Amino acid sequence: MQQFLQAAVIGVSLGAQYALLALGFTLIFGILGVVNFAHGGFYMLGGYVAYSCVSLLGLPYPLAVIGAVAATAALGWVFELYFLERLIDDHLATLMLTLGLYLVISTGSLTVFGPLAMEFHFPVTGAFHFGSIYVPKENLVVLVICLTALAALWAVLFRTDLGRGLRALADDRAVAMAQGMRPKLLFPAAFALATGLAGLTGALVTPILALSPGVGDPVLATSFLTVILGGLGSLGGAALAAFIVGMVEAYTSVYFGGSIGALVLFVLVLLLLVFRPTGLLGREVRGA
Amino acid sequence: MFRKEPVLGGAEIAALVTMAAAFAIPMITKNVLVYSVLNQALVGIVAAQSVWIMLRMNLLSFATPAFMAIGGYTVAIAGRYEITDAFLMTALAFLLPALAAVPLGALVLRLRGTYFVLVTFVLSQIMQLLLFESESLTGGSNGIAGVPAVTLLGTEMMSNRQVLLFACGIAFLATVITALLTRYFRQHFAAIEENEILAESLGLVVWRYKAVGFVIAAGIAGLAGYSLVNMLLTAHPSSFSSESAVDFIAYTIIGGRGTILGPIVGTALLVYATNLFGTHGQYAQGLYGILILAVILAARGGIAGTAAAAFRRVRG
Amino acid sequence: MSELRVEGLTKRFGGLRVFHDIEFSLPPGALMGVIGPNGAGKTTLINVISGRQPPSGGRVFLGGRDVTGQPAHAISRLGVGRSFQQTNTFKGVSVRENIARAIRFGRRGIPQGLEQLMGQFGLIPRLDEQSDKLPYGSQKMLGLVMAYAAGPKVLLLDEPAAGLERSERDNVDLFVDHVRRVGGASVLIIEHDMDLIRRLCPRIIVLDAGEVLADGPPAAVLARPDVIAAYLGDTEDAA
Repeated sequence: MQQFLQAAVIGVSLGAQYALLALGFTLIFGILGVVNFAHGGFYMLGGYVAYSCVSLLGLPYPLAVIGAVAATAALGWVFELYFLERLIDDHLATLMLTLGLYLVISTGSLTVFGPLAMEFHFPVTGAFHFGSIYVPKENLVVLVICLTALAALWAVLFRTDLGRGLRALADDRAVAMAQGMRPKLLFPAAFALATGLAGLTGALVTPILALSPGVGDPVLATSFLTVILGGLGSLGGAALAAFIVGMVEAYTSVYFGGSIGALVLFVLVLLLLVFRPTGLLGREVRGA
Repeated sequence: MFRKEPVLGGAEIAALVTMAAAFAIPMITKNVLVYSVLNQALVGIVAAQSVWIMLRMNLLSFATPAFMAIGGYTVAIAGRYEITDAFLMTALAFLLPALAAVPLGALVLRLRGTYFVLVTFVLSQIMQLLLFESESLTGGSNGIAGVPAVTLLGTEMMSNRQVLLFACGIAFLATVITALLTRYFRQHFAAIEENEILAESLGLVVWRYKAVGFVIAAGIAGLAGYSLVNMLLTAHPSSFSSESAVDFIAYTIIGGRGTILGPIVGTALLVYATNLFGTHGQYAQGLYGILILAVILAARGGIAGTAAAAFRRVRG
Repeated sequence: MSELRVEGLTKRFGGLRVFHDIEFSLPPGALMGVIGPNGAGKTTLINVISGRQPPSGGRVFLGGRDVTGQPAHAISRLGVGRSFQQTNTFKGVSVRENIARAIRFGRRGIPQGLEQLMGQFGLIPRLDEQSDKLPYGSQKMLGLVMAYAAGPKVLLLDEPAAGLERSERDNVDLFVDHVRRVGGASVLIIEHDMDLIRRLCPRIIVLDAGEVLADGPPAAVLARPDVIAAYLGDTEDAA
C-alpha cells in the first residue's frame, strides 16, 4: 500500500511536469501547425540559463528560474518571428527549421558547457514524511510551481483576450483571421509561451534530475508520446495524457524497474492509434 | 501529347554511374582513412535513400533506424548460426523490415503527415527499447559481437577491401531499387507531395502509394542495417538510435530532396565534413543544424537542387 | 447506372450544424444548380458527397449503390468528379503534366473530346507552361478540364465561375455543355453568379442555414419571397 501511494506521489509530480511540456507542445501544434522539434532543447536551455544565473551571476535561484523563462521565451519569440513565420504554412518546413534549431542549441550547449553534467542543485533539500510515504521537498516545490503555472496557463487561455485569440486561431485560423485576430502578433506569442513553459520546466527539474546536453532528447520523446495520446491539438487531452503518462511511468518504475515501463507506454500509445487515431480527446485526423 | 516517360531519367543514370564508380575506389587505394569514410558514406547513402523515398511524398520518416535494426540484427543473429550467404542475407535484410512495415504502415499511413512524423519517431524509440529488453535474442545492451564476414559465392569477404566492395554492392543495389521505384511512381509520388487532396479527388488511391513507398523504404533501410553491421562486425543498439535518424534526414535535406542525387551528394559531403571534425564529431551536428536552416530558408533544393538550378541558368 | 441520390444528408462539426436532412436526386445527364448565401454549407456538401469528409448522418447513393462514407478516391473511381472553389492544380508542373496525371489517376483512358475542350480554353498553346504561372482564368479552366479528364459520370462543380472575368464566364457554359453532350455526365453546380444559374440550369436547389429552402425551376424559385429574403444582406457576386 505504501509503495502504491509512493508511486502515486511520483506519478502526480511527473504528470505536472509533463503537462507543462505537453501543453506547450500541443499549443504550438494546434495554433501554428508547427511540430516543435526543439522542445527538448528549450527545456535544456532553461536548465542551462538557470544554472548560469546561479553559478556565474550569483543570482538567487528563483530569479534564475525567471531568467530562464525570459530567455527561452525570448528566443522562441525571435525564432518564430524571423524564421518560422516565413514558412508557417508549410508544416514540413517548419518542422525542419525547429530540427535545425535543436541541433544548433544542442551543439551550442555542448560547446559552451561541455559534455559533462553540471553541478546544479535544487536549493531546497530534505523531505517530508507522511506516515511511511517519503516526499522530497524539492519535488513538492516543483509540483506546486507546476500546478500554479498550469493554473496560470489555464487562466491566460480561457480568461484573457490573448488566450481567446489563441484558441480561436487553433480552432479555425481562417475564421479567426476574418474576425480580426492578428497572427503576426499572436503566433510569436504562442510560440514564446510554449518555449517559456519548456524553459520553466527545465529550470525546475534539471537541478533535481540532471543537467547535461543530452537531457532534452527524452523530453522530446515524452512530449511526442503525450501529445499523440491526448490527441494533437487538444489541450485537455494533453493535460490528461500527461498525468496518465506520469502515473504509468511512476508505477512501472516502482514495481518493475528498467525500461519496461517506457516500452509498455509506447506500445500502448501505438495501439491506441489503431483504435482511436484522434487520441483521447483529439479531433478528426483522417489523412488527406 | 502525353508521351511515355523513359524508365530512368538523367539524375537516376548519374546516380547509378556514381555508385558504380565507387567500386573503383577500393581497387585503387588501400588508405585506411579513405576506406573508413567511404564505408560510412555508403551506409549513410542507403539510409538517406530510405528517408528520401518517403520525402518524395512529403512524409518525413524517423523510423529508418528501426528498420535498419531489423535488417542488421537479422544478419547478426543468422551469423550466430553460421549463415552468411550474401544473396540470402541481402534478401532477408530487405524482406524482413519490409514485411514489418506492412502492418506498421497500415497503422501509420492513415494519419496526417505531422502525425506520421511523430509516430515514426515513437517507432524508433520502441525499437531501441525492444533491443535493450530482449537479451536472449539481441544480446540486450551488449549487442551481438563478432558477426562473421559475408560469404559471396563461396568466398568469405573478410579483408578490408572485400568489406568495402560489399558495401559498394549493397549501395548500388539500393540505388537501383530506389531509382526504379521513384521513377515508376514519379507522377503518383509527386502528386501526393504537391496536392494530396487534388490527387485523391482525381481517383488516386493515395494510401496505397504511401504504403508501397513505406514498405520499400523499410527494405532499403534494412539493407543499410546489413551494411552497417558488416562494417562494424557488431550489432549494437547504439548504432540504431533515433538520433541517427536525424543524421540521415540531414543528409537528404541538405543534399537535396528533389533528386535521387540529393541523398548521395548530401551524405558524401556531410560524412566527409564530419570526419574533418575528427575526435570532435559531436560538433558536426551543429553544422548540420545551420545547414538545415540555410537550406530550408534559402535553398530549398539543397546542394544538388541549387547546383542544378545554377547549371540551368548558366546554360541559358 | 450513374444517378446520384442523396437522402437525409447531415453534417455537423462539433456543435456546429453545417447542413441537415438534404435530399435530392440527380439523374444521368441532368444539370442542377445549388445556390445559397455564404456559409450555407454548399462546399461542405460537395466535400461530403465526394468523400472528402464523412457525413454525420444520411446516405449517398450512386447508381443505386450505397457509397456513404467511402473515401474520396473510391468515390472518384466510381465516377464522381469534382472541381474546387479556389484554383486547384499541381502548381509546380506544366499544364501537360497536370492533365496527364488526371488521365492517369482516373484510369479511364482519355475521355471523349478532351483535346477539343483544351483547345477551346486556350490550353493547347500553353501546354508546357507551369500551371501556376497561367492567368487566373486559365488556371480555373485547367482545374475543370482536369476534373473532366479523370472521366467522371457525375461532376460536382464548386463555384466554377468565381473569380472569372465577365468575358470568361462563357467558358463555363461551354464546359458544362461539353461534358454533358460529349461526355454524357450529369452536373451539379454550386454558384453565386445568378445569370449563369438562370442561363444554364433547368432546376435549382436553394440552401439556407443548412437546409433545403426550395427546389425547382429557377424562374419560379428565384421569385419566391422567402428565397429573396434569404439573400437580403448577402450581396450577389457582381463581376
